[in-house]
Amino acid sequence: MKELKILLVLIVIVGVTYWGIEPLAHSIMHKHIEEAIHKYHLPDYEFSDLGSTPPLDGDAAKGKEAFQMFCASCHGLKADGIPAPMDPKTAAASFGVVPPDLSNVTSFTSKKFLFHFIKDPAKASEFKKIAMPAMGLQDEQIVDIIAYLDSKAKKVHGAELFKEACGRCHSAKYQKIYAETPPDALKKYLGKVPPDLSIIMKAKGEHYLVAFINKPQALLPGTSMPRVGLNKEATEDLMHYLDRIADPHKEQRVKVGLIVLAYMLVMVGLTYAWKKKIWKNIH
Amino acid sequence: MAEEKVSRRDFLLYAMGGWAAVGLGGVLYAMYKTWEPLPEVKAAGIVRFDLSQVKPGELKVVQWRGKPVFVLRRTPDMGKCENRSIANEYTVVVGICTHLGCIPNWETDKKIFKCPCHGGEFDACGVNIFGPPPRPLEIPPFKLEGTTIVLGETGPEYEKMMKG
Amino acid sequence: MEKKGGLMEWLDKRLAIETLWKVMMAEYYLPKNINFLWSFGVLTMLVFVILVVSGIILLMYYKPDAKMAFDSVNKTIMMDVAFGWVFRHVHAVGASVMFLVLFIHIGRGIYYGSYKAPREVVWITGFILFVLMSATAFTGYLLPWGQMSYWAAQTITTLFAKIPFIGPDLVIWIRGNYIVEDATLTRFFALHVTFLPALILVFTAIHLYAVRIVGSNNEDGIPMTKEEKKKNGIPFWPVFMAKEYFVMSVFLLFFFYLVFFNYKFAMDPINFQPANYLQTPPHIYPEWYFLAFYEVLRGFFFSETLGLIGFVLSMFLPLFLPWLDTSPYPYVSGKHRPLFKIMWWIFVADFIALTILGKLPPTGLFAWLGFVASIVYFLFFASLPIISYIEKKKVASGGGQ
Repeated sequence: MKELKILLVLIVIVGVTYWGIEPLAHSIMHKHIEEAIHKYHLPDYEFSDLGSTPPLDGDAAKGKEAFQMFCASCHGLKADGIPAPMDPKTAAASFGVVPPDLSNVTSFTSKKFLFHFIKDPAKASEFKKIAMPAMGLQDEQIVDIIAYLDSKAKKVHGAELFKEACGRCHSAKYQKIYAETPPDALKKYLGKVPPDLSIIMKAKGEHYLVAFINKPQALLPGTSMPRVGLNKEATEDLMHYLDRIADPHKEQRVKVGLIVLAYMLVMVGLTYAWKKKIWKNIH
Repeated sequence: MAEEKVSRRDFLLYAMGGWAAVGLGGVLYAMYKTWEPLPEVKAAGIVRFDLSQVKPGELKVVQWRGKPVFVLRRTPDMGKCENRSIANEYTVVVGICTHLGCIPNWETDKKIFKCPCHGGEFDACGVNIFGPPPRPLEIPPFKLEGTTIVLGETGPEYEKMMKG
Repeated sequence: MEKKGGLMEWLDKRLAIETLWKVMMAEYYLPKNINFLWSFGVLTMLVFVILVVSGIILLMYYKPDAKMAFDSVNKTIMMDVAFGWVFRHVHAVGASVMFLVLFIHIGRGIYYGSYKAPREVVWITGFILFVLMSATAFTGYLLPWGQMSYWAAQTITTLFAKIPFIGPDLVIWIRGNYIVEDATLTRFFALHVTFLPALILVFTAIHLYAVRIVGSNNEDGIPMTKEEKKKNGIPFWPVFMAKEYFVMSVFLLFFFYLVFFNYKFAMDPINFQPANYLQTPPHIYPEWYFLAFYEVLRGFFFSETLGLIGFVLSMFLPLFLPWLDTSPYPYVSGKHRPLFKIMWWIFVADFIALTILGKLPPTGLFAWLGFVASIVYFLFFASLPIISYIEKKKVASGGGQ
């Protein structure tokens, strides 16, 4: 009984300390993050700060014409046999970053966001130095281009999605994925080489990453990460991928963990019985 | 304290000791596994090579797991190489002398492999024909995928060869 | 040991292993009035063994080079080596849990007055072991070369710059560079895997030897001779160890729960970002076991010098406990010392408060709380001579229990 009381005191002391240095400390340290998430209702897949969008029911054929006129000088569209106009190195040297191939862009980007992005890239991305200029297109032209892009887009998952959505600036070197834009060009364009994302899930956690990708400036004011407008499905797919590559042994860990705990439970029983037996006549 | 002396045949003691040994075994197993070659090493242990790029009578050397592998496309005068021939006309052997581990040279005129260390000789099939080598040159585990040979994986041809 | 086999007899003639066994284990008697807190000494040994074994496995793949360290830990060990992640988790959690066990072990020693005469050498060697363990933990924490590793090493080594006259040069000497860099990593690595563990082994031996000479204290602080203990006590082997196995098993159950299912407290997320000497993370803090001392450093927020003096004192004052607190039996164990008991629980609460405050940002209210908690920390040590004085007077006047 006396020993149980001591144990109880120990548990209280350790418990209070743990509560203080983990949940309490983190809630205080990450207060501004939670506040930002709350303030902007992140993740906001409607991108409601960008205002209203006309109905996105454009004409793909017209869109193709507009694409070739306004977009194809920088962007490729492999899905429709339009190659990138420059190789990545030249493109990075002239624009700062490799312009994306737009084959699948509507499958992982919110179309609403895309509309506002094409209209005013710096405003929609919340990144003033963004390489793409506002093209001064009419709303109908933009809607047509989106319809055209959408007619060619295929769903991409996992590593492919990572390469298309993040891979122009970010590497995941543990997966042997290297940023399309050379590091030197990125440093010039963004001020620093963006972090490698191989184990970013362990460093930041899903809760933060989802909100950060959704609206980088809200969580890290002044960051050189542009808002890229991933839709809900793509964000979830990406989170799943980042988690898998950062923590490839999760299943094994749970399995081995349960076996070890079961083993230890039996050991506790055996050693308890042994202690009882030896101490039977002691007190 | 005399009555407290532990009986050596105590079941509980054996159970406890046995269970601890199981745990120790688990730890040792995990340690044992940590010394296995890493995934990239294992991946590098599988090499693909297109046999059709070797001209008749020519010898090419492929590096596989740090060792040279001789790929020889035989001409008819070099023999049929019963049970050592791959895709009818190729000799694929690990180029390490079975005597003391030197690397033999291919002598084009004599059509033999001759070891510079102790003069051991192997014919075009890799079979020891002279000198101290105790065995023919070793055939690496392989798999055939069309004209491509995959070194490091075992296919039915290799298994058949090993049985025969 | 009862039956002598051929080999045992052969060894015994040459090494006197039977005598050694008797002295260390079979005829080392402990009093009966001790509780499971007395089992934590052996637990520290258990954790030390776990750390050494897991550390050796990590050594096989770790690269002590600023360019390779991060990836060798986070890619090679955590992802590629079969079960490498188990050993990394065990090592990281083990280091953290080592301090939990040490704090309980030391706390037990303080509460029951185990530092008092004649156990001063046990106390001093124990204190040295704590300092060595802290140094090992600190040097080891740099090795993964993550952001937290880097900035912890950067800030703590900067503290040496405050030493008068030699400080600035000393820091550069310690780092082998103007900032924490490759040279620092490699020398910390060398200390972590060779010199410090070797010293720990030496002092563990002295610690254990000393405790065999003076014997264990007990819950009531009653001085007992060896004969009394032999008559009324229990032998270390097999009786005390039978209980120890049980405590160990329960402890390991808890330990492995942490290793597999709740390891984040020992592996800070910030440390999964590679060290970047151009960018300090928004929040940096030491591992939890240094937080209390760190908070004393920050507690005197209005004066850097006071903070430093406080920091050094907070770590080294416990060494002088046997001379701060000199009251004799029956005022040995806190159980029988009402005044001491009050101060003790205030001290425990204060230590927890310091630990928690150490992780919080040092602004506004927290800064003042930190200041108050730092003062209270020293009050405990200051109160001991006074309590001793009162208790000695009681003994002199024939008082006591």
